[in-house]
Amino acid sequence: MAKWTESRPDEDFSRVLAPDGTLSGEAPVDEATALRMYETMKLSRRYDEKMLSLQRRGEISILSRSWGEEAIPVGSAAALEAGDWCFPTYRQTPSKLYWGGPLDRAVAGLMGHEPETIEEHLPLDEADEPAVNFSPIYIPLAANVTNAVGSAMADKFEDGNTVTLSYIGDGSTSQGDFYEALNFAGVFDAPAVTICHNNQWAISVPSHRQTAADTFAQKAEAAGMPHERVDGNDVFAVYAATQRAVERARSGEGPTLLECVTYRVDDHNTADDAGAYRDESEQEFWAERDPVDRLEAYLRSEDALDDEAIEAIEADADERVEEAVDRARDVPEDDPERIFDNHLQSESWNERHQREELRAEQRGENPFTDFTGDGL
Amino acid sequence: MSADYADGETSEVNLVTAVRDTLAQEMRRDENVRLLGYDMGPIGGVFRATEDLYEEFGEDRVIDTPLSENGILGAAAGMAMRGQRVVPEIQFLGFFYPAFGQFMYTISKMHERSGGAFEMPLTVRIPYGGGIKSSEYHSESTESFFVHTPGVRVVCPSTPAETKGLLAASIRSDDPVMFLEPKAVYRTGTQEVPEAEYTLPLDESRTVREGSDVTVLTWGAMVRHAETAADQVDADVEILDLRTLSPLPVDAVLDSVKKTGRCVVFHEARRTLGLGAELSALVNEYAIDHLKAPIKRATGYDVHFPSHQTEEAYLPDEQRAAHAIEAVTSYEY
Repeated sequence: MAKWTESRPDEDFSRVLAPDGTLSGEAPVDEATALRMYETMKLSRRYDEKMLSLQRRGEISILSRSWGEEAIPVGSAAALEAGDWCFPTYRQTPSKLYWGGPLDRAVAGLMGHEPETIEEHLPLDEADEPAVNFSPIYIPLAANVTNAVGSAMADKFEDGNTVTLSYIGDGSTSQGDFYEALNFAGVFDAPAVTICHNNQWAISVPSHRQTAADTFAQKAEAAGMPHERVDGNDVFAVYAATQRAVERARSGEGPTLLECVTYRVDDHNTADDAGAYRDESEQEFWAERDPVDRLEAYLRSEDALDDEAIEAIEADADERVEEAVDRARDVPEDDPERIFDNHLQSESWNERHQREELRAEQRGENPFTDFTGDGL
Repeated sequence: MSADYADGETSEVNLVTAVRDTLAQEMRRDENVRLLGYDMGPIGGVFRATEDLYEEFGEDRVIDTPLSENGILGAAAGMAMRGQRVVPEIQFLGFFYPAFGQFMYTISKMHERSGGAFEMPLTVRIPYGGGIKSSEYHSESTESFFVHTPGVRVVCPSTPAETKGLLAASIRSDDPVMFLEPKAVYRTGTQEVPEAEYTLPLDESRTVREGSDVTVLTWGAMVRHAETAADQVDADVEILDLRTLSPLPVDAVLDSVKKTGRCVVFHEARRTLGLGAELSALVNEYAIDHLKAPIKRATGYDVHFPSHQTEEAYLPDEQRAAHAIEAVTSYEY
């Protein structure tokens, strides 16, 4: 089996910000953007923290957090422009937060509300819609990447000027959808940027069990596609690489695969126990490479942040999360008939009759009394 | 239903030509309509269902893709999410299995899971069924897989004129449609088909013939055998061509069975959990008082689709339909 390159994580990917916050070369973004990245990461962390406490209290059922991996969704999303498209999975909430995605809707979603209920009770003005278009979060692994390439193909065929970004985990690169997506993107020169979040674990299976290839980035070779390998805990490096890929896509030069090497600090989700299959020393190693600490050290060194400013950012994040949770808690229980919403564009005989049956059941009546098909 | 679309100029075409002509018509009508699949470009598809379209519309609208069913459906889904009206082709229904991931994960579910925010206006064209002596996985009739899935329409025409109206309606529908083309009858006959645009409803059956003794529920390539059988038996047979398999036209089914009191379901698919099982259950639940005989299902057998030498024995035909009709019409409690 090929030696897994994460054993030498400092050696073979691009990096701008060292773990101690020192910069090699120039910062790829201005100070305001760097601060927005920092604020988004802090907000995401506060959100993750709060959601975990809600999960422990039983207010939400299951949660996969972005903790420790925020530089990837934040750095990449920052390289997009208004009108671009983003197809995330469950670990890239910070992408949407960077573009002002509503926290209350995210919380309500985790609380298990139907999307129609959320739309109705947490309405969003058009002006508050994120300027980057986001698909719904995907749960099935790699399905989003194939759709994202279709989105990019649509732009290509329409002579559009937008780029579609999607995310995939290291484990998900083992799915056929990933190869199919990359292959289509290559063949059609689609303006698609695919970002592999190599956090080295697919629940309990380590990345060397996902592939015998040296890197995940090189999987793009088979699709005839450029690829880069980036320090995924360095928000500037992720930004710079994504920016190069986005520019390439926007100028008609086709797709790119980026592998961002990071580490899943947390359990896979709240039903998982990483302690059962991982060595704690790994976590210590990666804690020293934390993306938020790294950016914070840099911004302090530039005098763009001090204790007071950090305290204000934390207080603001705290307030925004608490307010969002309050708003989400105020969403009333879903009408059970919501389950019939948005299947097909018109009503069918079965839908009509099954709605009636559900209503009868809800009223405590017997729903099995129609023997003619004329209804209850 | 009556042929209220039969005004104006007509031309005599077979079913596969009706497919082609309708695709061309819809592509001229709406520039967002794009075809996606393999072999559909210069050669015009293995059944020539897209013949000449590549020349007329170019490679960005008749898109020859890599050989990848899941990739075709996944890319089509992404294009549909961006407002394209996509008509992917899966070459044979037996090649659909690799595409089940995208079918279940995104095509059937995206509209519902996004609370209606994303439409999925795509029509997946798939030749289905046996009788052409092809190799394995080229003759499947597994429509039940699709019918069991919420969030998609399943449509199956049986004549050229129906094909035109149903395909145009499918392409214009904002719902994902699985459009099953009975390839055994692609070229078996012609019919005068109106040249003007028309659509047919995606939730109504067609009464092929009215009768008072027994209802035959059927669709696709089996409709012609049902008609032949009806001519042979000593009974007044009513034939419903369901046309739309999901959602099912339940009212029409129940009305017919309540009128005739007898019912045969006649389909090419395997029997167990084929659509006949559902139709039989519906009649049992809502019209049992009207039944004068048990419902019989004249179908394929619960086996893999067989080889050339034996496929005729497997496939339902007019004789199997006639036997089922005779059995239920002569049954006495």
